[in-house]
Amino acid sequence: MDEVQEAIKKQVDSHPVILFMKGTPQFPQCGFSMKASQALAGCEADFAYVNVLEDERIRQGIKDFGNWPTIPQLYVNGELVGGCDIILEMYESGDLEQLVRNAGAAQGSGA
Amino acid sequence: MTEERVAMIRERLQAALPVEHLEVADESHLHAGHPGAREGGGHFRVLVVSEAFSGRPPLQRHRLVYDAMGDAMRRDTIHALSIRALTPQEHEGASA
Repeated sequence: MDEVQEAIKKQVDSHPVILFMKGTPQFPQCGFSMKASQALAGCEADFAYVNVLEDERIRQGIKDFGNWPTIPQLYVNGELVGGCDIILEMYESGDLEQLVRNAGAAQGSGA
Repeated sequence: MTEERVAMIRERLQAALPVEHLEVADESHLHAGHPGAREGGGHFRVLVVSEAFSGRPPLQRHRLVYDAMGDAMRRDTIHALSIRALTPQEHEGASA
């Protein structure tokens, strides 16, 4: 595993809920990343994020890491949940809220 | 250019999956000025209805669609693809 993949793995393993996105939740730089981060924010659970635009190696590396060709990508407890469409589908069904809240609980308070 | 890519998406999906119903829309115009649009990659939306999705969760369904696209995603011929992947039963339910 190369350096970039190691770095991504470390981030994914150390945050129960982490979104790889373009921009930040406060200033998203792509409509899909914006919708994904808004859905997570709507779940009122803590989540970490990585702005892939800050590092071209991560921007490409995350696609290999998840074997998933697009950004955003959401990982919960180290597993890829999906991209924007899946995140929104799960948000609408209520599954997302359940998933991210339980993920935080499994790690303690998530604080 | 755009019509070619829509045709390519249709062909690749039909070659890879037993497709019962398929809709492909080019939404690149919604993203004009977006960095991906400037690079020439298009934004597309697909509705794919296939028996292949039966018993598969969303993540795996989307993987099947992405896999069908092959190198087009990686090469940014397709910059973004919104996917709705339904089984024939789900599709009937959704349109009833």
